[in-house]
Amino acid sequence: MTRYLMQRIGQSVAVVIGVMILTFILVHLEPGSTARAVLGLKATPAKVAIFNNTYGLNRPLPVQFWLYCDHVLHGNFGISYAAGQPVSTLIAQRLPRDAVLIGISTLLALIIGVPMGLYQAIHHGTVRDDIVAGTWFTLYSAPDFMEALLLIAIVSVHFHLLPASFPGGITSIGGLFTDPSALVLPVVVLAINSVAGFSQYMRSSAIEELAQDYMRTARAKGLSERMILTRHLLRNAVLPIITILGLSLPNIVAGAVIAEAIFNFPGMGLLFWQSALSHDFPVMLGATLIIGVATVVGNLAADIAYGVLDPRIRHAV
Amino acid sequence: MRRTHRLTAAVAAVALTTLVAACAAGGGGKVGAGSVVKGQKINGGTVTVAEVAASPNDIFPLLPSTNSNGYNGDLTLGLWPPLVYSGDGGKSVVNPQESLFSKLTYSDNDKVITIALKPWKWSDGVPITSRDFTFVYNLLKWNYNDWFDYVQGLFPVDVAKVSTPNAHTVVLDLSRSYNPTFYTDNVLATIPLLPQHAWDKTSATGKVGNYDESKAGAKAVWNFLQAQGSDMGTFATNPLWKVVDGPWKLAAFQSSGYYAWVPNKSYSGPDKPVLSKVIWTPFTTDTAEMDTLRAGTSLDVALVPLNDVRQISALKAEGYSVAQVPEPGVAEILPNFYAPVAGLLLRQLYIRQAMEYLINRKQIVQKAFAGYADPGNGPVPVTYGQQWDSPLEKAGGPYPYDPAKAKALLAAHGWKVVPGGTDTCIKPGTAADECGAGITSGEPLTFQFLFASGTESYDEQNAAIQSSESLGGIKLTLKSEPFNTLVSTTGTCNAQSHPASICNDWQLQQYGYNEYLMDPSGAGQFNTDANGNYGGYSSAEMNSLIDATEYGSSSSAFFAYENYAAEQLPLLWLPAESQVFVYKSNLAGVTPLNPFSGLYNPEVWYYTKPAS
Repeated sequence: MTRYLMQRIGQSVAVVIGVMILTFILVHLEPGSTARAVLGLKATPAKVAIFNNTYGLNRPLPVQFWLYCDHVLHGNFGISYAAGQPVSTLIAQRLPRDAVLIGISTLLALIIGVPMGLYQAIHHGTVRDDIVAGTWFTLYSAPDFMEALLLIAIVSVHFHLLPASFPGGITSIGGLFTDPSALVLPVVVLAINSVAGFSQYMRSSAIEELAQDYMRTARAKGLSERMILTRHLLRNAVLPIITILGLSLPNIVAGAVIAEAIFNFPGMGLLFWQSALSHDFPVMLGATLIIGVATVVGNLAADIAYGVLDPRIRHAV
Repeated sequence: MRRTHRLTAAVAAVALTTLVAACAAGGGGKVGAGSVVKGQKINGGTVTVAEVAASPNDIFPLLPSTNSNGYNGDLTLGLWPPLVYSGDGGKSVVNPQESLFSKLTYSDNDKVITIALKPWKWSDGVPITSRDFTFVYNLLKWNYNDWFDYVQGLFPVDVAKVSTPNAHTVVLDLSRSYNPTFYTDNVLATIPLLPQHAWDKTSATGKVGNYDESKAGAKAVWNFLQAQGSDMGTFATNPLWKVVDGPWKLAAFQSSGYYAWVPNKSYSGPDKPVLSKVIWTPFTTDTAEMDTLRAGTSLDVALVPLNDVRQISALKAEGYSVAQVPEPGVAEILPNFYAPVAGLLLRQLYIRQAMEYLINRKQIVQKAFAGYADPGNGPVPVTYGQQWDSPLEKAGGPYPYDPAKAKALLAAHGWKVVPGGTDTCIKPGTAADECGAGITSGEPLTFQFLFASGTESYDEQNAAIQSSESLGGIKLTLKSEPFNTLVSTTGTCNAQSHPASICNDWQLQQYGYNEYLMDPSGAGQFNTDANGNYGGYSSAEMNSLIDATEYGSSSSAFFAYENYAAEQLPLLWLPAESQVFVYKSNLAGVTPLNPFSGLYNPEVWYYTKPAS
């Protein structure tokens, strides 16, 4: 197991380095002048020269990359061209809030999706299975911006029941809860799209498990249906969900750009989107690196959790 | 009572003097600036203003050259207003009541400016003096290359000598004569006074001195203030920023763009704030702001995105009033006179004239901008309705929509006109009835038209232009790109750089509008060597006319330039969108908005309650 872990960690480091190199090359392939994009049309050649000198953009690309790597290894992601603030500060402000928002919505989706999948599996092939699956797939198929705008139109604009957006100026996790009612709509919108995925993975996995010999044995031993479902079926069927959760980690880090835009929630998604539009390379590189790390860590965590939960895998490695 | 004086470039022989009745009977200033006041005035109250994607990140009013964030001006304008206050209500005039000068005198053939300062005080009780001006001058003199608002050749480089005969008088000896209107409106109006007695230091714990009087000291002070100014965590707490001379003080600031102003109890100006607090609350996008407005929450003042102006009736039902203000700028299609083939076509005035005749600007104003736009008759917006509008522009400009004239122009210059199709040159050559230099037989009249993506009104406008141009056989291929991508390409181009290959990649562009200061001069845009002359337009006559507006003293110079530019089409004129706002109907004093000084003047706002 230890050797396996060391191998996986080594692979992860290689992937992260690859992501850094690839991202660095890609962002520098963006057409146009970075200084012009940031300083605007009024910038004189002198101001452009100062900008390029300040941020080292007048140096050869390999030198820029070397300096970037050196800074990253020292915990310095650079200064945002647009915001004038350290990238690490910008990320530190947004990442925890995204983690909370998307974490809550993921939890809600799990709470709904896992039992829903089990229910469908138990009733698979029946009208009830079809109705539940059809409902969630309909919601899953609808674009999240449409769901968000519809909910706002009905709940906020028409009935004035919940706020349409977060209050401006939230800069901390605590700020998210100054008006908890503002969390409801974004959490619901984000959860809707995840429930269908969780429930269908759970359904497929549970149907497979229900056909296994050990389930027949459990029933033959006279165990109650409740005991069979919770002790045997749930524990074995939930394994694919672990994988999905692990793969969800980068989503939490990358933010949810549409929900952030609609619900006035300045998170990682908007930060990354705006940096891409404004040629803000340090932010793009910093955000991509964080997302890359989250991806490999999520995969690694899923693998480890899988091994812990499934003795066959643990013993195989 | 409002009293407004406009500095005019009048009599050349004598000094021009603008006398200000700063404390005239009745108060003056902006109070009641045009608003219809209903109900009884309430003292106090909090107003929340929505701002989209607005995140100030620097509080020092003299921004470094690497910081182009325009929202910093919104943050600081109420704290440290400029020497010359731009705009009075919606008018493009100097507001003498709000300005820090009491008298501006131009003399010696407009080479010497004598500035008399009002006896106002900083918020800590220290008088505002000429030393505060020299502090600003000294800082800029040694650091102008690192000042974002520095314009090539202007302040402080054009100042030969500064003297201060007394504590309230500054005399500027300029290196050349200027048109007083231009210099007052576009130079002095960009310079704030800063508290030398509090800011002339090189470290947070160091003592205040006269460091700015030496080059090394001025650089050290500049660097210190720049570092402090970018420390967003201390904007509301740093003792430096507590010393203000504007009507407001900063009470709170968050890096998200949220901030709050409270009244400066020691403000010396005529308009003492009535409200007890103004909160500026940020929104990530137009959509979030509009949803919040529609949900009827506590937003009191908000800009309505152009894409959403059709929802105004719904907002009125939520208790909002509507105001609009024209953008102080010119909207255009930018032609690239150096594009390899298209440039040859675009250099022909008759082709630009035909293209302008084929733009149905009135229809665009109504359909694409729901009526909220200037018609774009020429280089100056006529919705100002003021001293800058020449009779030609007021009458609709030289090229009102007329497809027949466009077709006739093209046919008269050797083109086979194919309405709905593509015109081709059938008479190459340089004679008056031929296509023009470099245009070959069979050359099609087609252009690629790049424009900024993401704005529905622009999409509609440009689709309409594509359609109407085709009536004259001019084929436009539309392509949208993100604004920053367009800007990053266009901005590298001017008369000097145009031969470079990067400037050959585009033919026509539309990215929005070019903003003016108070004087809508063509300086910097249409002169051959102008930094903002992205299309490479060049005309000796235009250069001469622009110089006359900037350096001359003739009162007719501006109209001469304006009419020439309108006719010569260095750009293809387009309607310029207005800004549309909603504000709570019980809030008085919001209108008219002042586009020259951050739009809002909350010091004259107040709530009302119905008269009993």
